[in-house]
Amino acid sequence: MPEPVGITSLPDQRYKIVSKEGATFTIMVAGESGLGKTTFINTLFQTSLKPHQDPTERHNKFQSAQETVEIGIVRAILEEKNFKIRLNIIDTPGFGNNVNNNDSWTPIIDFIDDQHESYMKQERQPLRTNKKDLRVHACLYFIRPTGHSLKPLDIEIMQRLSTRVNLIPVIAKADTLSPAELDTFKTRIREIIEAQDINIYTPPLELDDPASAEHAKQLIESMPFAIIGAEEEIEISPGKFSRGRKYPWGVVEVENDEHCDFKKLRSLLLRTNMLDLVLSTNEIHFENFRSTKLGADEEENEDELKEELTNEKGEVVKKPSITKKPRRLHNPKFKEEEDQLKKFFTEQVKAEEQRFRQWETNIINERNRLNQDLEEMQLKLKNLEEQIKKLQLAKR
Amino acid sequence: MTSVEPEKQPAIQMPSSVKSPITYTPQDIKIIKKVLNGYVGFANLPKQWHRKSVRRGFTFNIMAIGESGLGKATLINTLFNREIVNHRDDEETVEEDTEDKEGGVAVKIRSTKAEIEEDGVKLKVSVITAPGFGESINNTDYWKPIVDEINSRFDSYLEAECKINRSTIVDDRIHAFLYFIEPTGHSLRALDIAMMKLVHEKVNLIPIIAKSDTLTDDEIVEFKQRILADIAHQGIKIFTPEAPGDDDEETVSNTQSIIDTFPFAVVGSTKEVQTPDGRTVRGRQYPWGVIEVDNEAHNDFVKLRQLLIRNFLEELKEHTANVLYENYRTEKLKKMGIEQDSTVFREFDPLAKQQEERALHEAKLAKMEAEMKSVFQQKVSEKEKKLQRSEADLFARHKEMKDKLTKQIKILEEKKVQLEKQRSLPQEPMVQPAQQKTRKGFLR
Ligand SMILES: Nc1nc2c(ncn2[C@@H]2O[C@H](COP(=O)(O)OP(=O)(O)O)[C@@H](O)[C@H]2O)c(=O)[nH]1
Ligand SMILES: Nc1nc2c(ncn2[C@@H]2O[C@H](COP(=O)(O)OP(=O)(O)O)[C@@H](O)[C@H]2O)c(=O)[nH]1
Repeated sequence: MPEPVGITSLPDQRYKIVSKEGATFTIMVAGESGLGKTTFINTLFQTSLKPHQDPTERHNKFQSAQETVEIGIVRAILEEKNFKIRLNIIDTPGFGNNVNNNDSWTPIIDFIDDQHESYMKQERQPLRTNKKDLRVHACLYFIRPTGHSLKPLDIEIMQRLSTRVNLIPVIAKADTLSPAELDTFKTRIREIIEAQDINIYTPPLELDDPASAEHAKQLIESMPFAIIGAEEEIEISPGKFSRGRKYPWGVVEVENDEHCDFKKLRSLLLRTNMLDLVLSTNEIHFENFRSTKLGADEEENEDELKEELTNEKGEVVKKPSITKKPRRLHNPKFKEEEDQLKKFFTEQVKAEEQRFRQWETNIINERNRLNQDLEEMQLKLKNLEEQIKKLQLAKR
Repeated sequence: MTSVEPEKQPAIQMPSSVKSPITYTPQDIKIIKKVLNGYVGFANLPKQWHRKSVRRGFTFNIMAIGESGLGKATLINTLFNREIVNHRDDEETVEEDTEDKEGGVAVKIRSTKAEIEEDGVKLKVSVITAPGFGESINNTDYWKPIVDEINSRFDSYLEAECKINRSTIVDDRIHAFLYFIEPTGHSLRALDIAMMKLVHEKVNLIPIIAKSDTLTDDEIVEFKQRILADIAHQGIKIFTPEAPGDDDEETVSNTQSIIDTFPFAVVGSTKEVQTPDGRTVRGRQYPWGVIEVDNEAHNDFVKLRQLLIRNFLEELKEHTANVLYENYRTEKLKKMGIEQDSTVFREFDPLAKQQEERALHEAKLAKMEAEMKSVFQQKVSEKEKKLQRSEADLFARHKEMKDKLTKQIKILEEKKVQLEKQRSLPQEPMVQPAQQKTRKGFLR
């Protein structure tokens, strides 16, 4: 037997390159405030990454300046076993707080699209080694544990998210539902997700690898994951600590599969499917965005096709066109200001109309006065005629 | 007559919030840094990559350039343990059309592919050769097909990368360029230098001394030194793997020993021969002994294989994609007149975004305002003109009528005066002073 070529070392070479390079990972948490998003992130990474929103500060004087900052980013470089990730946590505070929820999803959707677009623009530059990448690899959608069903708003947002990003719906604060309630709730959510054609992220089933396929199957069966967040360590038995929530009737353990699906979700997000999340974002969601965008641009530029440049071999190399799209502006304050401006003009118009009406009345009055004047003259004329007639008669 | 136009109201002030000033201060970007002790799990990512890469398989494109008969086909076949490249003898013997106008032999580009699998790991190799290279003395463009080939592979990648659908993108770029140096024992020839200089910034250049069994150890040492001196003097870049300090010691020293062996003096052979001590080895049998391919004491084949395949294949590809191709692309796009827009590389900053949107919004408001104002002013002035016209009409008509009446009155009054005069002569004058007085008052 001749010596092997030695290509079995290739996966190891890849392993080494990745280990050295580290990775970038961006998670978005979406859902109404108070559902435990911050707590979950801090639980997942076992670190206080995200500060909680202080409920007492909702009305402080900075509020007015901050009120429209809808997207929050926490950036971190975390190291585990010599492996580094550049982690970005995208939070969407304020969502669900407004009375008017009609388009509360726009900032979230816009953020995702903006990141794709920004990456696209960067990628087209001649020099592009320093790309800033905030494309969302996983979007956790927190569902309120009502035990009933999904709200229309949930459905609408999830539909929009699922075409753009790896969407992972989770049932928040699952400790408020009994196992039986949770079961029914999960089933109902799954049915809705199916009926509404919401395309949630599912780990790939690699059937040629039974162990991995089995693991993936378990993950899929547990969806939507019921999670519990807790930043505190609680002594569950003497000397044994675990993250959990302590109630008078017992302790809910975060990392206990009997209590919730936290471990499964962690596995999906980090231990087994992180790469798949990253690659599917690049290869599916980003590519979809890109081809749709370029397709649309192409139609727009149909006449400008002459702009294509050819290389020395006569092959066409498309000149990357910089797209100028009108920005969608969704700040409610902007609308208000527009309305104010319109109102201002409406008032001006009203004032002028009032003035014109007055003017018209004045003209009518003036005409009447002048007519009267003429009538008087006519009367005088008539008098004169009569006098003359009399005079002539008298003369005869 | 003066106009009856009412006085204008004092102008209404614009709402102040519409004209709020733009204040933008970029936020410092905070990055939390932390080393975790507990088990979180993202450290599994390299393992996930390991699995994924096995599933996806590997590709490698290698170009082997050198004069005919230097053992290119033999070496490639030895590296990959199979007949990938045919020997010259088996090829169609020089066809007429390969002769160029000057009677030299034209350089052709030939590419052959093979798929290798070992323990479930798959590698698709593509070997690109240039038969005819260096064979013609007249042909001054001997290098052109080779450089063209490298460029066009970059070009098609660039083109594919710009396409709307790029799910089918294939990487045909040259990942390693083996340049075969004739074992003359002297130094590099002008042709070698010229060729290497033309490609060293586009490919991972790996110069090797071919058929090194024709040189003694001492000759090899000296030849290597002279070649390295030439390469340094000419500023030719050759691929050098990195040996970062954070690697384990063994890896670092191994990488260093690979670098110390440059340029590899190699021997190729796919034939198995018997050594005097009874082993079966890949090598070449001479009356004076057996030179073993896989014996590090005999030649540098093992080191070359480490660099090309076992240790640095992925690194060669990374360097091609991240450095060589990027440089080529940057140059090319700049030549095409595409300008760098550095603003697109900004860190995302929600506040800045907000300010940007505010600016856009303000521009929109200003436009709206201008449009409404102009429509408004036009409408107002139209209406004003209309009213002024009817006002003027009214006065004009009145004046006309009044003039006419005044004239008639005047005529009649004169007539009356005359009649009265006539009457007063023969008759008693008939006086009506009271009546006249009231009339006068009536007429002001
Ligand atoms: N019962 C229960 N409470 C939770 C859970 N996770 C978080 N909380 C609590 O819910 C409140 C809001 O959590 P926070 O993470 O700030 O929510 P966010 O607004 O979505 O970021 C805090 O008082 C948390 O302690 C959970 O899984 N179960
Ligand atoms: N002495 C010696 N001869 C070799 C070596 N490698 C190949 N050859 C012989 O050189 C001849 C040409 O080899 P080939 O691989 O066809 O060269 P190519 O034209 O460069 O592809 C053949 O007869 C080979 O057996 C080597 O390392 N040493």
